[in-house]
Amino acid sequence: MPRTIEQPFDAANIPGPKMATLLERGKPVALAVKRAKHPLLIVGPDITPPMVERVKKFAEKGVTVVATGNAIRRLTSAGINARYAVLHELAQFLVDPNWKGFDGKGNYDVVLMMGNLYYHGSQVLAAIKNFAPHIRAISIDRYYHPNAALSFGNLWRKEEDYLALLDEIIAEL
Amino acid sequence: MVLELRKGAIFVDELRNISIKIGEVAEEEEEWAPMGPTPFPQIETLRNWDFTLLKRYKPSYAPYCDMCCLCTMGKCDLTENKRGACGIDLMTQTARIVDIAVAIGTSCHTGHGRHMLHDIEHITGKKLEEIPVDLGPEISEVAPVTQLITGIKPKTLADLEKALKYVEEQIVQVVSAIHTGQEGSYLDYESKAFHLAMMDALGKEIADISQICAFNLPKGESNQPLIEVGMGTLDRRKAIVLVIGHHAPPAFNIADYIENNKLSDEVDLAGICCTSHDVSRYWPMSKIAGSLGRQLKVVRSGLPEIIVIDEQCIRADILYHAGKLGIPVLCTNAKAMHGLPDMTKKDPKEVIKYLLDGNPGAVVLDPLKIGEIAVEVARARRKKRGEIKPVLTEEQFMSYVKACTQCGNCTIACPQKIRIGEAMDAAEKGNRKILEEKWDVCITCGRCEQVCPKKIPIIDVFNYAAWNRIINEKGKVRRGRGPIRDSEIRKVGAPIVLGTIPGVIALVGCSNYPNGTKDAYTIMNEFASRNYIVVTSGCMAMDSGLYRDEEGNTIYEKYRDDFDGGCVANLGSCISNSHIYGAAIKVARIFAMRNIRANFEEIADYILNRLGACGVAWGAYSQKAAAIATAVNRFGIPVVVGPHGSKYRRAFLGLPYREEDWMVYDVRSGQKVRVEPAPQNLFVAAETVEEAIPLIAKLCFRPNDTDKGRAIKLTHYIDLSLKYLGRMPDDWHLYVRTETDLPLAKREELLKELEEKHGWKIDWSRKKIVEGPIRPYHAGFNPTCVERLFREGFSSLAKK
Repeated sequence: MPRTIEQPFDAANIPGPKMATLLERGKPVALAVKRAKHPLLIVGPDITPPMVERVKKFAEKGVTVVATGNAIRRLTSAGINARYAVLHELAQFLVDPNWKGFDGKGNYDVVLMMGNLYYHGSQVLAAIKNFAPHIRAISIDRYYHPNAALSFGNLWRKEEDYLALLDEIIAEL
Repeated sequence: MVLELRKGAIFVDELRNISIKIGEVAEEEEEWAPMGPTPFPQIETLRNWDFTLLKRYKPSYAPYCDMCCLCTMGKCDLTENKRGACGIDLMTQTARIVDIAVAIGTSCHTGHGRHMLHDIEHITGKKLEEIPVDLGPEISEVAPVTQLITGIKPKTLADLEKALKYVEEQIVQVVSAIHTGQEGSYLDYESKAFHLAMMDALGKEIADISQICAFNLPKGESNQPLIEVGMGTLDRRKAIVLVIGHHAPPAFNIADYIENNKLSDEVDLAGICCTSHDVSRYWPMSKIAGSLGRQLKVVRSGLPEIIVIDEQCIRADILYHAGKLGIPVLCTNAKAMHGLPDMTKKDPKEVIKYLLDGNPGAVVLDPLKIGEIAVEVARARRKKRGEIKPVLTEEQFMSYVKACTQCGNCTIACPQKIRIGEAMDAAEKGNRKILEEKWDVCITCGRCEQVCPKKIPIIDVFNYAAWNRIINEKGKVRRGRGPIRDSEIRKVGAPIVLGTIPGVIALVGCSNYPNGTKDAYTIMNEFASRNYIVVTSGCMAMDSGLYRDEEGNTIYEKYRDDFDGGCVANLGSCISNSHIYGAAIKVARIFAMRNIRANFEEIADYILNRLGACGVAWGAYSQKAAAIATAVNRFGIPVVVGPHGSKYRRAFLGLPYREEDWMVYDVRSGQKVRVEPAPQNLFVAAETVEEAIPLIAKLCFRPNDTDKGRAIKLTHYIDLSLKYLGRMPDDWHLYVRTETDLPLAKREELLKELEEKHGWKIDWSRKKIVEGPIRPYHAGFNPTCVERLFREGFSSLAKK
């Protein structure tokens, strides 16, 4: 049974029986990242300046950051050494267990996502959920993403709460 | 029984009580070219070609729904690729859903084609065999898609009907394979989707050539007149007849009625979607009110006096929205009758009275009656109205924005995720700019209104805030010109294949854009300004005409409408985009002298390896767009869609790091050669327009590019990445085979980067690459992905 208690940010985006477990704390994300052999943070273009600041901290903590869409411009301007990928292409690489990753060390086992266009990000999460058993996808975006394994709730109008969750993750890393 | 009579004389003595019936006289088709290997291909005929594509461009599935609810053994939970009660897994089920979408789209275009042939006979009073397929002196290859797939070179519309019957049969066969308990392989479902989509291309060509020949629409001539586009072009002093849909003969009759009765000073004919393109091809005085995304904006603006619908892309709730303003709806096509009474056999005057009596609408399926009914209803209604103003008053607008409780339901319902509440709040405080800006991003789906607890008519609120924009939205679109002329192909065939024209960019499809209509203009302008050939059709062709440059010119005034580098040619409606495939086929026929008769695999292989073309459907939304893109893919042409396009559930994405996926046969050397990932994808969604533009440029690389051509393509790819993403692309080096592939102005700088970043060996004394590229460059490189062609050779019509 799904343990969701949150409405998807797209009201009709109910994919099926398996929907993301709602995350109300940042600590479980930090634990997942710390336990991961090869974590990745995907950052899309729907981001605010405070979110960019937090992305920088993720990068400083050693998490590989990949920008999609035109987010790369903003991350580069902020001094973040991010990789770039077309999200749709990246999804195909992630589903392939033989992909060597951006650093040649192999595919990723924990993928965090934030800032992707909601509906497009949701589709990519659906691909990972259903066809990439080697990956645990965690949405740390401002919206509830049912296709992730774990997801923050709808915090798009609670910026302080949302940033506090990101800060909690960063503090634990 | 078939009795075959050969040469000689036949004597029948004492002929009594015998009746002789002659059905169809089968004429032997003129031997216009040797018959190729695959006339009238069936489901399995081109499966090898499909599997060749699918090996390199692997389907990438992103299910929209993890369940199947198509049979009574379900619902089945297929999450994580589980199998359902019938045995189907999620990957195969997703491919099956793609087939369903493509089947719907293909049926739509094909049904449109069939309806067109019926209407042509009814309207012109001629039989199909009496109407020649004549596209003028500059077009000898009149129906390249039909010729390629069936082997028929049509002389009359009756020949096209033969091809149409074949398409109809193929649709039935493939749709039957979607039933529970049939196909069990996702790859075979994709092959079937390709087959259906190829039928879609054929159905579109049949429909468009038929209407061109029967109604004398433009036959590929350049320098078409400019058509007015935008809501502001609708003359509010006149009675406005709004047509919506894709099947234009009823709208032709409206144009005839206005023209014959000299009513153009009193009546405006405007359209939404492809009917507006096609009626302007018939009568250039008509206007394009807007693309699909403007549909409810126009309806709810209260501008039209009557709405005439035909088929496809019509709001299912058109009666609800029109009814709010008392606008009658006239349904002209059996595919969309909306529960209204069928008054086809009534006298038009009776229908006019019925509609003016306040009834919501009527069905009239005879296109020859539509003009009188629509125009007279519009005239009578307009006489009763004074000045046309926004639907809301200032007081109503303010009361609505104040009523908003910021509950957020509208944003959660909105497919674009527009923060409507925040825009309302700003408007309440005196800033209406946000509502006005978001008016364009809004696709007017109307979902927000249904969830608003305060019943705020959000579309009307948007329209009111954007009223100044609405009445000043006045653009221009070049009238749809139809096919590409053979003479144009003769001129550009070589530069396209050699790469010196860096690519053909085909912008087609709907208006479900992620961030408003301006992206259509931006993409077109960027590529036309760089000497790419830009062709367009459908909603993107309309939306791009809404914007002007610093000098006040629209894109259609800025660029010529030839099929040539640095031009923007509007071909017409969605069915006219069949001429884009046609142009690609003609390059193979006219430039390379390949035999295009019933020879799909060879020509698609030619296009994939040599023709730097990329389709763009930035706002694709429909099943028709799914069919169009899938057909483009089977022809070997990649497609970039907007981010909503990932909801099609399936993409075709190459893995550039898998060497074995990028092998081709080189006919020159007799070797199997690894090539660069060119093109890397066949179907890919970009997240933003800034990402899409360099991606489109990248997807124009082809293995067969000459070094000069590759240098030009590389220049644009690098430039566009720097311009839109602020960085060098990560993979530019994959496309370098030799130092002469490098743009001359940057050669030294790039050689240095190849050495330092990628570890390539450079001989600096000669400024030559010694080691590093995937493969060396050879001017005679002659690639094919098809082993049969490698062994047997290409089918050339060149005189030996």
